[in-house]
Amino acid sequence: MRLWVDAMWAIVRRDATLFLSYRLQAITQVVGLLFNLTVFYYISHLLTAKAINSPGGYFGFVVVGLVIIQVLTTSLGILPVSVRQELVAGTIERFLVSAHGPVNGILAMMLFPLLNAFLTGAIMLGLAAVIFGLPLAATAPLAIPVALLGSLAFMPFALLLVSAVMAFKQAASATQFIVSGVAIVGGLYFPISLLPGWIRWASDVQPFTPATDLLRHLLVDAPLDHPAGVELLKLGAFAAVLLPLGFMLLRAAIRYGQRAGTIAEY
Amino acid sequence: MNSASTRVPASSEQPSDTSLGGSVIEVRDLYHRWKGPKPPVLDGVDLTLRAGEIAWIGGRNGVGKTTLLRLAAGILLAQRGSVRIGELTPEARGGRYQRQIGFLSAGDRGLQARLRVSQQLDYWARLAYVPRARRAAIVARSLEQFGLGELAGQRVDRMSMGQRQRIRLAMAFLHEPLLLLLDEPRNSLDDDGYALLGEQVEQAAARGAAVLWCSPKGEDRVLAFHSSYSLVDGRLEQLQ
Repeated sequence: MRLWVDAMWAIVRRDATLFLSYRLQAITQVVGLLFNLTVFYYISHLLTAKAINSPGGYFGFVVVGLVIIQVLTTSLGILPVSVRQELVAGTIERFLVSAHGPVNGILAMMLFPLLNAFLTGAIMLGLAAVIFGLPLAATAPLAIPVALLGSLAFMPFALLLVSAVMAFKQAASATQFIVSGVAIVGGLYFPISLLPGWIRWASDVQPFTPATDLLRHLLVDAPLDHPAGVELLKLGAFAAVLLPLGFMLLRAAIRYGQRAGTIAEY
Repeated sequence: MNSASTRVPASSEQPSDTSLGGSVIEVRDLYHRWKGPKPPVLDGVDLTLRAGEIAWIGGRNGVGKTTLLRLAAGILLAQRGSVRIGELTPEARGGRYQRQIGFLSAGDRGLQARLRVSQQLDYWARLAYVPRARRAAIVARSLEQFGLGELAGQRVDRMSMGQRQRIRLAMAFLHEPLLLLLDEPRNSLDDDGYALLGEQVEQAAARGAAVLWCSPKGEDRVLAFHSSYSLVDGRLEQLQ
């Protein structure tokens, strides 16, 4: 177990070292957040829709959506690209010939981007509060464990995309499809009550809606449609069911690539 | 060790195989076919390497040497036939098979470009599950073995191709594997690097490892190989 932890930490530290070696990256990331917030701050001045039942108005509503988009873009968007780059660079091959193995290696590759996304999300909320006057709720610290649980529920979607990369080398279009789809049915930019009835069912069959609702409740005191316990249970159930499936799929994709020989292609 | 001490054996210097131990790797009836209309690249390959054995496999470009090494390393899985180290197969859980393998791929890939040399070796030591207590000493020893001491603090992407090859070799040898699979290990090495490689191969064999060295031609023979093979039409032909 200690050796497993050491290997996981080695990969997280490697990713952090690589990230920090591009010195302007962190600065441009924060400036980008500020621009993003500014755009939505002024858009929120145009919107007074009653459907947005949030104490912070549309700005408070959308900031939480933007934080979740940040996490999704990182976990669903960046990870498959990173895995693809590592296939090309031959560094995934090192996982294949190591005691740690490719599944553990890819799991570890998810950790630094997630940490980065959490930090970025926290900075985004801080900027929204300090610069744009967003009133954060006293329950905001409770958002941390909920965000962690939400990440576990999101992780299988990242594993699905990485599996596609391992087996077929491409997942860019699928990534865009999933992130955009989640933005619609998860209610990240607008309330799902605005969606037509025939599509609203999609909001109930994925973990993004309960995660978004819970985080909005904890961060900006938005009211919940269902009791918090039910939303937490849903989130936990999605994670418990989908995570093992995600890892099984990844293992199968790697085995397929090893058997067919496509794992050596890029 | 300098290049003057490199042994370039004539065929009469082929070492005796009476000192070799039990089998390390057994490859049986190995078959692999890439997608497309081409015939199988490997078709019924059999190979056994014993403890202390240094073997060479040659053959034309594209004949399947790299595929054979990737199958032996567990990067690819056999479509038919088997690869075994004792009771372990590449499918074994927990990376137990991979712990026995030191693999050098052909080319210059597989390095974390922006890490420093010592970071690169420490990173690999952790992935290879080298115990904490021995890790720092093993990394230091690896740096010394491949003449990388002065480069330890430098970033990999600022190195020459030969220096990168030394790092890749250091990674293959670092965790003292039972089987070394070396695909064109001489790539980009200068005479000193080549001599260091020969020295490390001999030391690995002396501690009981088996070494499989692949290259297109026999010009790579800085060592006295116990056995030599040519890969032809998907099968191995023994040369000596």
